[in-house]
Formats: sequence, C-alpha cells, structure tokens
Amino acid sequence: MEQPPHIMVVDDDREIRDLLARFLEKHRLRVTAVRDCRDARRAWANGHYQLVVLDLMLPGEPGLDFARWLRSQSDVPIVMLTAMGEETDRIIGLELGADDYVPKPFNPRELLARIRAVLRRAGDSMGGPRHDGGSRPLRFAGWTLEPARRRLLNPDGVEVALTGGEYDLLLALAERANRVLTRDMLLDLLRGRQAGPFDRAIDVAISRLRRKLEDDGRNAQLIKTVRGGGYVLAATVEHA
Amino acid sequence: MTFRLWPRSLAARTAFVLLVGLIMVQAAGLAIHAMDRIDLQRLSQARNLAFRIVGLYRAVELTAPAARADVLGELRHGPGLSAELSAAPPVANLPEMPPREQRFWRINLNLVGMPPPHHWRGMQLLGGPAWHRIIVGMRLPDGEWLNVSAAIEPARPWHSPTFLAAFLLMTVVAAGLTLWAVRRLTAPVRTLAAAAEALGRDVNAPPLPEDGPLEVATAAAAFNTMAARIRRFVQDRTELLTAIGHDLRTPITRLKLRAEFIEDDEQRGKVLADLEELETMVSATLAFGRDARTGEAVSALDMAELLRTLLDEAGDARPEAASRLEYEGPAHWTVRARPLTLKRALTNLIANAVMYGGSARVRLVPPASVGAAGAMLTIEIEDDGPGIPPGELERVFEPFHRGEPSRNRETGGVGLGLPIARNIMRAHGGDVVLANRPAGGAKATATLPA
Repeated sequence: MEQPPHIMVVDDDREIRDLLARFLEKHRLRVTAVRDCRDARRAWANGHYQLVVLDLMLPGEPGLDFARWLRSQSDVPIVMLTAMGEETDRIIGLELGADDYVPKPFNPRELLARIRAVLRRAGDSMGGPRHDGGSRPLRFAGWTLEPARRRLLNPDGVEVALTGGEYDLLLALAERANRVLTRDMLLDLLRGRQAGPFDRAIDVAISRLRRKLEDDGRNAQLIKTVRGGGYVLAATVEHA
Repeated sequence: MTFRLWPRSLAARTAFVLLVGLIMVQAAGLAIHAMDRIDLQRLSQARNLAFRIVGLYRAVELTAPAARADVLGELRHGPGLSAELSAAPPVANLPEMPPREQRFWRINLNLVGMPPPHHWRGMQLLGGPAWHRIIVGMRLPDGEWLNVSAAIEPARPWHSPTFLAAFLLMTVVAAGLTLWAVRRLTAPVRTLAAAAEALGRDVNAPPLPEDGPLEVATAAAAFNTMAARIRRFVQDRTELLTAIGHDLRTPITRLKLRAEFIEDDEQRGKVLADLEELETMVSATLAFGRDARTGEAVSALDMAELLRTLLDEAGDARPEAASRLEYEGPAHWTVRARPLTLKRALTNLIANAVMYGGSARVRLVPPASVGAAGAMLTIEIEDDGPGIPPGELERVFEPFHRGEPSRNRETGGVGLGLPIARNIMRAHGGDVVLANRPAGGAKATATLPA
C-alpha cells in the first residue's frame, strides 16, 4: 500500500498540536507536530514532508518568516492557520507562496478537506512546471482570479463576489484549464465546505459561475459541460 | 393657521428681541425729536407773527384816525399777513379760537409788548392751526378795530427729506450689524451642537478648536475633555472584548478537535453546533471591536452580484428558506467600497431578515440622478416576520441590545449584528435604518454614496 503523506504541523499550543495530530492520523495522514520555528527547521532537516500546516501566530519567530524561509528551501505546499479577521497576514502569506489558509478557530474537517485538496493539486502538477504561480493572479478571457485575495475581477477590474465554494471550483477549473474535471473531483473540492446534497451543489455552483462570468448557460463558451459528467474551462489561462 | 411670531433658533430669538428693541428706541427717538421740533416751530412762528401784528397795531394806533387807512395801505405786511380797519370786531367764516390756543397767542402777543388796555376783551381771536389761519381783532383806543389775518404754516416734524433717509439708513445699518453680531455670537453654540452630533456618530470625531471668547473656549475645552473620556471608555471596553475574543480562539479550536473524537454521532453534532454558535459570537465581538474605517483598501465591486451571492450563501445555509430569498434590481452596479467589510454588513442584514422573518427580499435602488452630489444608492431588505416594536426600532442598533428575550433564546444572537452593520455603513458614508412595513414585516434600508 502507498505510504500516507507526511504532514508537518507547527502550532505553539500543545493540546491543539496533539489533538490535530491524532485527528489527522485518524484520517490516514502521517503527522509530525512541532511547537515553534526552531523545532520546525530541525524537523525539516530530518524528514521528508508533503505538506506543512503552519500557525502564523507563533511565539518567537513569526510564522510568516518561517514560511518565507521554507519557500526558499522547497516548494512544499503550505496551509496557514490565520487569526480570524487578520486579512493582512493572510494576504501576505498567500503572496509569499502559501497554498491555502484556514482561519482559526478552524473546523477540523474543513482543514482536512483543504489539506487533501492542496495535496491533490501538488500531486497533479508533479512532473509539470512546478508550482505554476502559487498565488499569482490567473487571467482568462479578460477575467482575473486573485488567489491571494480569493477574489474575481471582471474585465473592468470590478470585483465580482463569489461564495467560498464557487471560488474553489473556479480556481480548480482555471488551474487545469482545458482539462476535463470530473464531477467526483469537483465534489471533493466542495466537501467539508457545504452541507446538503453535494451532487446538486456542483450544478448550482456551476450555473451561478456561468451567470457571473456572463457565460450563457444554454450555450456555454467558457465553462463547458462535458458529456459523461464533467466540466472544462475552455480558455487560455495566463499567470500574471 | 397660526403664524409663529416667536422664532425657534437662539440667533433668531436674540436678533428678534434686539431688533424689536432697536425699532422701539428709534421710533421713540424720532417721535421725541419730531414733537420737540413741532413745538419749536409753532413757538417761533407765533413769536414772529406776534411781533409783526404788534408792530402793525402800534403803527396804526399812533396814526391819526383819518390817516389810518392810508398808512395801513402803505405798510408792508410781509407774506401771509393782511390787515383791515373796521368798525366792528372781526367776522369771518372761522370759529372762535379754542381756549388753549387763545391763551398761547395772548401770552405771545403780550410778551412782545401789546399795550395793556387790550388784555382780554379788546382783543378777539378766531381760527387756529387746524384752519391754517388766525384772525386777530384788536380794538384801537378810539373804538375802531384793526383786524389782522395771518396764515399759519403747518408744523413739519422734520425739515428736509434727507433727514428721514439718513434716519432710515441708520436703522437699517444698526439692524444689519445686530444680525451679524448675533450670528457670530451664537456660532459657537451651533459648532458645539454639531460636534456633539458628530461624537454620537463617531467617537473618534476630531476635537473642537479651543479658541474664541473665553466662555466659548471654556465650553469647547470641557466638551473635548468629555469626548476624550467617552473615547477612552469605549476603547477600554472594545479592547477588553477583543482580548476575550482572541483568548477564546485557542480553547474553541481545542474543543472542536476534541469533538471529533466523540463516538456518539448525535452528541458530536450537538457539541459542534454549540461550538459554531460560540464561534459566531466571538467573531461578531471581534468584528465589532475592529475599526470599520481601517484595515481594508477601497476598491470597485459589483454590488448587484454581491447581494445575489449573499442571498445564495444564505440559501445554501438554510435550504428551507432558499425559495423566499429574492433579488430585485439592476444586474450590475459598480460601487467603490471596502469589499470584505461591506460584505459583513450586508450579510448581517440579510441574516437578520432570514432569522426573524424567514425570508429576504433584497432590492437595489440606484440613485435617481447618477453623479449628482449626495446621490445615494439604496439597498432595501424586507422580510415577512413579525416586525419590530416601534420603540425598539432604534434601540436594536445599540451594541448588545437583544430585543425581547424570548425571541433571542433560540436564535442566539449576540446583539452585535445590527451595530456592526451600522458602524460599517456609516464608515462608508451611508447609514442603516429599520422600519416596519405597512403590510407587515420589517424593512432595513441601507444607503451608500453612489
């Protein structure tokens, strides 16, 4: 059987560290938990990790500095734990090259879903050009998707609001433009984010996205429906 | 219809009292002056006429009776005066002079040297100022009568029209000066009222300038001290709340993780729901503590799409209410705002409608004239709930005010949703107000500069 992915968790609260390690291990992930940046550097040197969960509010060296250091060492995916409402930290972190963030207090299942999504994304791009942009804006058909601020700008530079699920969906489609994403792949993205029947949620989210992208639902040109269950973003995506 | 004579503003009242006083003083002054002038004119006219009449009498008296008529003809009487000799006292179409006038003329005639025999009965007086003419009949020592008729010029209260113009000009200038001074003196009161109003809206409003007259400067200083105390009080409270909110994050995270290890699914669900509620309260408290003015840059966003997205999110969270969430308005409308902050305010308003009314009809009303100064974009959010008791319509915007207890037990609000929404909208230059709809239910109206 395949070796479970190895995750490093950096958090200064011992209880959270232990509980999170237990929780993630319960869901078939291997976890090494450390309390601060110094220990994290040591652990990084001694092991091989597929992903780092980093609390930005750490005693001593700030988490952002460690993220910067880590980025200079490796392309390992980073999921940040940020303080609620501290938008600036989040934006700086994403611009530094972190892959995603979860505000604290976080919902463990949501964190797990994010970890899985990021791992899947990293796995996808194996062999290809590594870390194609990370958090740099994606441009397609005049639209701009800014991962650092999780927002969509129309061709006039006006922000068009997206729900969390719609954003995740659009990002997944844009990162794999011109490749068919099956319903199952998209379902995974929305899981842990929304209650209710996921099946319908995909269709609803896609139709809302089409409306927002001014893509005619009956004759969609941008987000095309693929016979047999899947969607594809038919556009050239540039990394700005 | 009742005409309000007594004005409402301090400046107008003060000006009113001063102007009425000024007009009364001016009118009295004019009257006193005019009366004195009339008296003086009458006296000088009477004295003048008396001299001439007595002079005439003397001349006629000293002349022999036969030559009198010739002499009288030779004498120059001067304008307004005519004299004739007669065998009888004067008879004319004039009544006898009233007694007061009689006394006045007799005194004047005697003063200028009318000989004693003509004290009373040897002199007849007819007419008076009311007829613009007097006739004085004087009996000569030999029984003949000299009757003199003199025109009386009416006394004028002022001599030249310039006087009246100058007087009016003086009054107008004094009135203007009064109005200016009153406005200037009451200006600090208006400034103080405006500052108090601004403080009510925003604790961090700039302080008053502590200058001007001593009393005004003292009041401004006292006001600034009070504002500083209020500011410190609010700051302390907000900091305390924020600190508690921050400190609660770690235990809530731990509890959420622990809950994942509860085997009983039902219990786990309930614990997680409780924690969700707790987190909502903490995040509301933190959102309230944050200054709505800082921390986020202003950028362009599509308001219509934001409202529809918020309704979609509300529908996703409460699928049973999804069919009663409607948007009405233009498909796109660009505004410049702080996107996340604005989203929080509108989320709170929509959540309130869904929570208490089970529905939300959101209407985006663009300003009537785009680009005009003060043009406002209006967002109306209606629900079909029980509405809000009229006395509570403003109180629900007070932090931690939670309406009637029964309503909030189940919904579990912290009483910060509306205060946060109002803070945010006001920080954007708009506002939020609540009203009850005639058809039932409540309506929140949010405004934003277009």
